[in-house]
Amino acid sequence: MESSASNAPDLKGRKILIVDDDRLNLRILTGILRPDGYTLAEADSGERALEVYAQFRPDLVLLDVMLPGLNGFETCRTLHKTYGDETAPVIFITAKSESDDVVEGLTAGGIDYLPKPFRPKEALARIRTHMHNRLLVEQQRLLVDQLNKADAAKNRFLGMAAHDLRNPLASIRALSEFLQDVTFGPLNAEQLDLIKTIHTASQQMLDLVNELLDVATIESGEMKLCMEPHDLAGVISKSVELTNIEAVKKKTHISFENELPPILVKFDAGKMKQVVDNLLSNAVKYSPPGSHITVLLNADDTGCSFSVCDQGPGIPENERDKLFKDFGRLSVKPTGGEKSVGLGLAICRKIVEAHGGTITAVNLPAPAHGCEFRVILSAT
Amino acid sequence: MPFDGKILLADDEAHIRKFMGLLLRQLGSPTIIEAVNGAQAVELYQSERPDLVLLDVNMPEVDGLQALEKIHALDPDCAVIMLTSLTTRNIIERAAELGAVNYIRKDTPKEEILSTLRQILDTLFEPDGETNNT
Repeated sequence: MESSASNAPDLKGRKILIVDDDRLNLRILTGILRPDGYTLAEADSGERALEVYAQFRPDLVLLDVMLPGLNGFETCRTLHKTYGDETAPVIFITAKSESDDVVEGLTAGGIDYLPKPFRPKEALARIRTHMHNRLLVEQQRLLVDQLNKADAAKNRFLGMAAHDLRNPLASIRALSEFLQDVTFGPLNAEQLDLIKTIHTASQQMLDLVNELLDVATIESGEMKLCMEPHDLAGVISKSVELTNIEAVKKKTHISFENELPPILVKFDAGKMKQVVDNLLSNAVKYSPPGSHITVLLNADDTGCSFSVCDQGPGIPENERDKLFKDFGRLSVKPTGGEKSVGLGLAICRKIVEAHGGTITAVNLPAPAHGCEFRVILSAT
Repeated sequence: MPFDGKILLADDEAHIRKFMGLLLRQLGSPTIIEAVNGAQAVELYQSERPDLVLLDVNMPEVDGLQALEKIHALDPDCAVIMLTSLTTRNIIERAAELGAVNYIRKDTPKEEILSTLRQILDTLFEPDGETNNT
């Protein structure tokens, strides 16, 4: 660890404004502060202090409480009103270390106080501490700013790359479908197999690129929801129907039994379909072949919820926190060689949360096993 | 109902023209004219007067929306479908304001594109051959 003395050079040139109507006090403080190499400015009244502050822009203010005209507390409040969070830390100079004064000073926005007569070492140590804090706050602000910029650049880049990859991929996929359709004559088994591989690979890439694009859109705050009343059961049954076409390949079946009358809930139909699609395809992906997946819908006055119950291995307890995060792939593997990039559930969570809802996952108790993903949307 | 009219297909990407061309041929036996940018699309619209235009949004120089505006000025009854790669609501809304009859996302599976196109053609061209722009 560095000692406080070796920290001193960091603070060289940092600016301190000393406000005191007593010439002697000013001289003493100047003498105490000189060894640390601070740049100093002085003012002999509250009014003058405000003028000098505006010009000098100090990193710290030493402010006498008893001043003619605007007193120290008033001056401090005015500074905070004018400069807000950017106001330099204010240390009050109090003749008497009466606790009333100290308390009022701290509530007026001061961060500390120095009792008169000054004890040079103590004064210097306190000032150093506050200077260091101020420096850290400034650095932190700068870093947060840089990180925000870097994050925005990342999202822009991700969005651009994904966007530009989409069209060519969609063309590759479509053209391979044309070849499969034997529009241009018959293919032998091997050729057909190759074409199917091209088709599957382009489809996987397209899914990945779409997921990346979704993440970029959501993260840059550009996701706009088109909230309109829809029948959630309708969205679910359509999605179940489509996913079942794929699920048949694994002899898995999704059932959705709904006896509720149609209830209109406000949500973005496209985005909610994406959530349902994702939960269903995940359930198929992680359940062993021949599984039975159940979708349930509940609704009452407070809102509605739906859940997807699979027969997969469930979520390992120690990986639970990764589940809804970007690229949060778990050790659990798809059971039919399907691909996963680990963005699906993160996207689901972001969409559901943008709707003001919640998404949860719980492992089902024996003998059912598997996992239940539940989305709760409140009625608004 | 097979479609045998004249279609103008404008997209700057050759692979899109290739696959959209193959797709359009599944509608019947249309005559397909291709444009590689917005300016060419406007020129070809003027000289060829196609029954249907598929217009890409993102094209260099004269983009899809600008071309749409010009085509619409030439012929307020034109049937233009925008080709988009993203459902950016603003762009779709803007295109609708400028007179596009519909839009198709290029990354949609081809069967879906076909059925959308068939639906659009059915509403545009009633069996008696009259144009109906609703």
